Amino acid sequence: MRTIEIRLPSELSVLEPLQLFVESIGKYVGVEEDELSSLSVAVIELVKNGMEHGNGNDPEKIVTISIDTFQSRIRFFIDDEGIWEPDMAPGFDPGEGEELLSCRGRGVLIARNLAKWVELGLTPEGKTRVTLIWPLT
Amino acid sequence: MKIKEEMKGDVLVVSLSGKVIGGPELMDVKTVFQNAVNQNILKVLLDLGKVTWMDSSGLGVIVSGHTTLSRADGSLRILNATRKIHELFIITKLITIFETYNDMQEALNSFGE
Repeated sequence: MRTIEIRLPSELSVLEPLQLFVESIGKYVGVEEDELSSLSVAVIELVKNGMEHGNGNDPEKIVTISIDTFQSRIRFFIDDEGIWEPDMAPGFDPGEGEELLSCRGRGVLIARNLAKWVELGLTPEGKTRVTLIWPLT
Repeated sequence: MKIKEEMKGDVLVVSLSGKVIGGPELMDVKTVFQNAVNQNILKVLLDLGKVTWMDSSGLGVIVSGHTTLSRADGSLRILNATRKIHELFIITKLITIFETYNDMQEALNSFGE
């Protein structure tokens, strides 16, 4: 499969079509049927994170998703227009007690737990890039 | 996503169906919880059995409902969380906050205990 690149405005209305697309591409390349929704949840969480934290929910700002497959895995690059700061890496711990009752901030936590590999980093241009890798059967 | 409300005794059963994927419709769910409190309905059972897809946005609304009801000395409980949704509750540790049930009658009875 050649690299697929999708450019999305930072608007929630694109999420449902994106969910369907991610599950379709996942099925096409061999993600287990039972894992398709987990894959789409993980990708959507990271895209929403980019829209909100990287792009400030500005519809003029773009989230770019690049999809590649290798022999036994599919890789998603999810790039936004923000600049990730390592000491602000969000969502690695759900917290305890009252912290659990926050209405927000679970997206990266969920993505990291559902996906086999999620890594926050930078594009060659210095913008935020999240890498998600999912094994194929 | 669709929302259905039904009173079973003094318990409001709120049933969601379809995809819970974020956006303005989630405000409607929050409104249901707030309206329940406004009408002094303090026992709410959220049936997720027909939810086909949910992410953290859905969890956020459920937590919001829990907070709304708890502040009024009420309770929000979960019915029929699918295996995938249950997994989200475990990942986020929300399983430690919510009482979850797979049987409607058992869930309704739990409010009287």
